[in-house]
Amino acid sequence: MNPTNTKKVAFKTLGCRLNQYETDALVTDFDNAGYQLVDFDGSPDVVVVNTCTVTNQSDQKSRTVISQAARKNKDAIVVVTGCMANNFKEKLESQENITFVVENNRKSSVLALVDAHFSGEIIHPNQLPQDVFRYEPVQKSLHTRSAVKVQDGCDNFCTFCIIPMVRGRAVSRPVEEVLESVRKTLENGFKEIVITGVNIGRYEDGEAHFEDLLEKILEIPGDFRVRISSLEPDGFGDRFVELFANPKLMPHLHLCLQSGSEKTLLRMRRMYDVEQFRKTINQFRSVFPDFNFTTDIIVGFPGETEEEFQQTIDAVKEFNFSHVHTFKYSVRRGTRAERLENHIPEKVKNARSLQIRELSEENKLNYFTSFIGQTQDVLIEKISQGIANGYGQNYVPVRFKASKAEKNTVHSIRLTEIRGIGENMYVFGELND
Amino acid sequence: MSLIKHDIKIDESFYKVDEIRQLTDETFSLKLPKARFAFKAGQHISLGIKGDYQSREYSIYSGVNDNNLEVLVKEVEKGYFTPKLRKLKAGDLVEIHGPFGKFGMEPKDAETGKFVFIASGTGIAPFRSIFRTYPEIDYTLIHGVRYSTEAYDRNEYASDRYVLCSSRDQKGTFQGRLTGYLKNCTFTPETQFYLCGNSDMIFDALEILKDKGFERDQIHCEVYF
Repeated sequence: MNPTNTKKVAFKTLGCRLNQYETDALVTDFDNAGYQLVDFDGSPDVVVVNTCTVTNQSDQKSRTVISQAARKNKDAIVVVTGCMANNFKEKLESQENITFVVENNRKSSVLALVDAHFSGEIIHPNQLPQDVFRYEPVQKSLHTRSAVKVQDGCDNFCTFCIIPMVRGRAVSRPVEEVLESVRKTLENGFKEIVITGVNIGRYEDGEAHFEDLLEKILEIPGDFRVRISSLEPDGFGDRFVELFANPKLMPHLHLCLQSGSEKTLLRMRRMYDVEQFRKTINQFRSVFPDFNFTTDIIVGFPGETEEEFQQTIDAVKEFNFSHVHTFKYSVRRGTRAERLENHIPEKVKNARSLQIRELSEENKLNYFTSFIGQTQDVLIEKISQGIANGYGQNYVPVRFKASKAEKNTVHSIRLTEIRGIGENMYVFGELND
Repeated sequence: MSLIKHDIKIDESFYKVDEIRQLTDETFSLKLPKARFAFKAGQHISLGIKGDYQSREYSIYSGVNDNNLEVLVKEVEKGYFTPKLRKLKAGDLVEIHGPFGKFGMEPKDAETGKFVFIASGTGIAPFRSIFRTYPEIDYTLIHGVRYSTEAYDRNEYASDRYVLCSSRDQKGTFQGRLTGYLKNCTFTPETQFYLCGNSDMIFDALEILKDKGFERDQIHCEVYF
């Protein structure tokens, strides 16, 4: 830490867990360099906006945040990075309210860029090194769980998806480097790590695939929990299921279905069909009956008929996802789906989105209710007004009277009742240990 | 302590067009120097034109050991990209990313397996790449086209392995859609199926094969439009 540094930095992150992880790592860098972390209203000298471009809505949100950041902090350096920086680089570079536009593969060097600026050096972001794994393990974070990045990019080229264009082709972090990062993260006091990347199921380092990496992570000594961020539902076998017998590995997967219609999945150029998805779900639930599956669904994909949408509704019911992250399809420039015929009117997309969200709420209530009377080991993420908040093994949000329990500790909680509704639904419980 | 640092492999490069090989009024192959470009038969690339922001994915049409890297392109009337590709001349620059994809088989499987390749239109591209890479492969190629003139490079395939299904003329092995032909076929249980083409054809062919009792794991798909 540099005690002479009196600069203040503010961050705003949009989008996925990977982006959140990368921001956390940047926060660690700036913290180590002596910068004070403040919010946008705290008169920062530097604001970093880590953007998302996965949908039109993400673009809009990112633009709004950039404008707010610049408007509120007219004397600050404004750094825009993340996927939107790749997708709209030239346009963003032409905006006078943005100081630097840093592409994803150079994001890890934002501190070097900012330090150089303050010391009077003139560095263009294109001169920064390209390395998508250069991030140091997270030390300081707003969370009690830390992500560990194992992979970046995607080669699947799903027809709707802009990610291969903005995150580049699939690349995996070497096994030893991942293990070192996990160990360091645990040493930094985290009790839970989330394995993250863009398409982590396609992890490949020499002969080592995702299951091999996961097994090695679970073999690391210590009392910690492992979660897996979102996963593409292809390419897994019995061995992957067996790994969940290890108590360190939490029984929850966010498995991206996108559609319950075979025809739609083909038009999306997904790498699986509904039957294969069903097989995976059944394989897990035959061993772990209360295994939690959540998913992403895109509604209103070009050509999606009422019948095809109904198949998605049926799938959401059948697979009993406890949460469905619903996206209304939006055109991403340069993707194959942009050129597909029969784009769906916004009004229809809205109606379908609402139907899925309502179904998701129903599923969530049913799933949470199934835990009443049971116990879950809950990692406390925060304590507010004497009430502890955290997640159980199955990623069920739990609250309970904290008594003397402290943040970042795990407690056995007997679950007693459902409280809240919609996105704010949680299970209340009482200490059992 | 700092973590291990390593360089990121840069995968983009520009190639000079060697030749545009006209196959029909609408379809041509774009031949590029193969240079050091390494790929596996069945994979695809992302192809862009220098100075243009758009790119498209194309399956590689040439074999792994061929002198040229080749893609098969059907011009889309009033399309944005393919008319530009067609106007390219020898010496013009194109940008290639890749290779991408897992569509294909391991060399040892190519030597011992029994394969049925099912293609509509330019979906034949990865199968030509596979066939040219593994000349001894045991395959049957079922190719669905509208007119028999679209039987691209037909003379390269042994006549007893190539089934042309033409829906709009009577010059094919079978007159009608390839799914009509497929319904009446019988295949040995260990057959591996590879499907490439538009999503409607693939959906219908998948249903037919599943009805015949084949497992989904035996059926590999590469979807074009």
